[in-house]
Amino acid sequence: MSLSRPPLSDYSRRTPELLLPAVLGGIVLLYFAIPFVAFLARTGMSNIVAGLSTPEAQVAIRNSLLTAPVSTAIATVFGVPLAYVLARTSFVGKRLVEALVILPLIVPPVVGGAMLLTAVGRFTPIGAAAAAVGISLTDSLLGVVLAQTFVAAPFVIITARAGFGAIDERLEQASRSLGYGPLSTFWNVSLPLARGAIVAGIVLTFARAIGEFGATMMVAYNPRTMPTRLWVDFIAGGIDAIVPMGLALLGITLVVLAAVQRLGRVPTVVDE
Amino acid sequence: MILELEELSHRYGTELAVDDVSFGLESGELVALLGPSGCGKTTIVQAVAGHVRPTAGRVVLRGDDVTDTPPESRRVGIVFQQPTLYPHMTVSENVAYGLAPRDIDPDRRDELVDEYLDLVALHEQRTAYPAELSGGQQRRVELARALAPQPDVLVLDEPLSALDRTLREQLRDEIARIQRETGVTTLFVTHDQEEAMALADRLVVMNDGQVAGVGQPRTLYESPPTPFVASFLGRSNTLSATVVDQHPLTITLGTHEIRLDGTARDFSAGTPVTCHIRPKDLSLRSSAAPGTTPSLPCDVVHVADLGRRYDVTVQSVTGDELVVEQSGNPPATGETITVVMPQDSIQLFGPEQQ
Repeated sequence: MSLSRPPLSDYSRRTPELLLPAVLGGIVLLYFAIPFVAFLARTGMSNIVAGLSTPEAQVAIRNSLLTAPVSTAIATVFGVPLAYVLARTSFVGKRLVEALVILPLIVPPVVGGAMLLTAVGRFTPIGAAAAAVGISLTDSLLGVVLAQTFVAAPFVIITARAGFGAIDERLEQASRSLGYGPLSTFWNVSLPLARGAIVAGIVLTFARAIGEFGATMMVAYNPRTMPTRLWVDFIAGGIDAIVPMGLALLGITLVVLAAVQRLGRVPTVVDE
Repeated sequence: MILELEELSHRYGTELAVDDVSFGLESGELVALLGPSGCGKTTIVQAVAGHVRPTAGRVVLRGDDVTDTPPESRRVGIVFQQPTLYPHMTVSENVAYGLAPRDIDPDRRDELVDEYLDLVALHEQRTAYPAELSGGQQRRVELARALAPQPDVLVLDEPLSALDRTLREQLRDEIARIQRETGVTTLFVTHDQEEAMALADRLVVMNDGQVAGVGQPRTLYESPPTPFVASFLGRSNTLSATVVDQHPLTITLGTHEIRLDGTARDFSAGTPVTCHIRPKDLSLRSSAAPGTTPSLPCDVVHVADLGRRYDVTVQSVTGDELVVEQSGNPPATGETITVVMPQDSIQLFGPEQQ
């Protein structure tokens, strides 16, 4: 019996293996880059310093710098433990919990804001109770934080969960057998090993929070944050009116990204 | 007894992984828990270490029932098959990790780290990170880390299975040495019977969640209590036969009657039995001359040259295939030949032992 060998096809002549995916990927990259470059090209036409020096701009920058870190901190402090629980246990209804975590990502931010209003608005039981003790949950910095946290928290939860999930559970079991309780094992082993993923999640959450517009607009159109200020200025003065604020928003996000990654010694957001 | 498992059972959902297992470890003993993968070994490890709460039964450490005690309050050192060194800590930090929760003063702690790194001959690598070490070195650091807090029991869960053969044998000897030097009571879990027999004072053989045999390696190998132990500890040929007479015990293999004078087993006539014979105990004879030792005419099916020996596969007139180990002069394929089976090498198992 002899097995006939089919002739080698022409396709097997050496063409770079990654040519096709590289070309397709390049198109997307171009699509990302063009608006970016075009927007930056506008910068010469407006006075950035003057644009950012108006009292309205100053207030918006201050409000954003106050609210976004607070939202990010809240999302991290409550989200990372949730991520750990989701990575380590299975229970009846876990799917439902996971769906709930992803919900704010899927719901359009404006709708999310509307949902928040129906929950904590001035004439709801929660909103009214808060108002009775002098706390305003809407049209306040607190309202901004509520909106930002709702929209941005899933990022740190999902990323941290993937980070915890990638740690072999036996590393934690070894720590328990070496005399550490569950909490100190989490602190000494799980948290340091998932650090890269958690830092990446924090950066994504912060970027999402400081840029949050849709939900914020519904819950707290006032006081203005940088994104809501951008909208107001755009309606009044068109693109050139918002270039300074747009650049400032971009700049803050990039600085935070660089700083957090430097602190966390993480190479890139996606390199996990 | 340092460690005792009493009627331990564990269920995952509806699946019974461990079924009424009891055995114990004496102080300083090295016991190998041996069985094929999926036989429940790992569940037992997890129950001993406290990472699994058994469905039924007790785990007793130094006389105390620890079944409900969390892992951190037991003194059980553990080394898994998968590496579990902490990548963000150096070698000496890894070894020191288990000392911090114990009430040891810091100077003594450093001494202990040095002692245990010396024990595994890795003192030079103390400032290295695990990723900079070879696979064998990583294993040794894990051993040092598990031993440094001086546990009551050291549990090694397939510690060599992920390594290549040469390294495996080297580390096996090293584990034997370390166990001798520290005298730590050790439960060595493995699916490799050679590893288990080479290391252990005593074997606990498991199959399908149950204990299939307990004893010294040589005893279990030579007189296995169950067919499973016979076939799992070393290679074994299986032949079906029927008892035709009790005094003296005579069995038929197909048309051949074989008398087993030396066997003290009681089987009534007509009982179907299984014979287990090790390939090394069989020999080949070219002539069919009747001898005093039981023999069977066979056809040679296949001869494999393994260098040190030949594995000759033959088919008996009863249709059973047998493997015969032969040190030289292999027969030719197709040849008809007589397989000689010494009486004392035949293990008989009745139908209730299947």
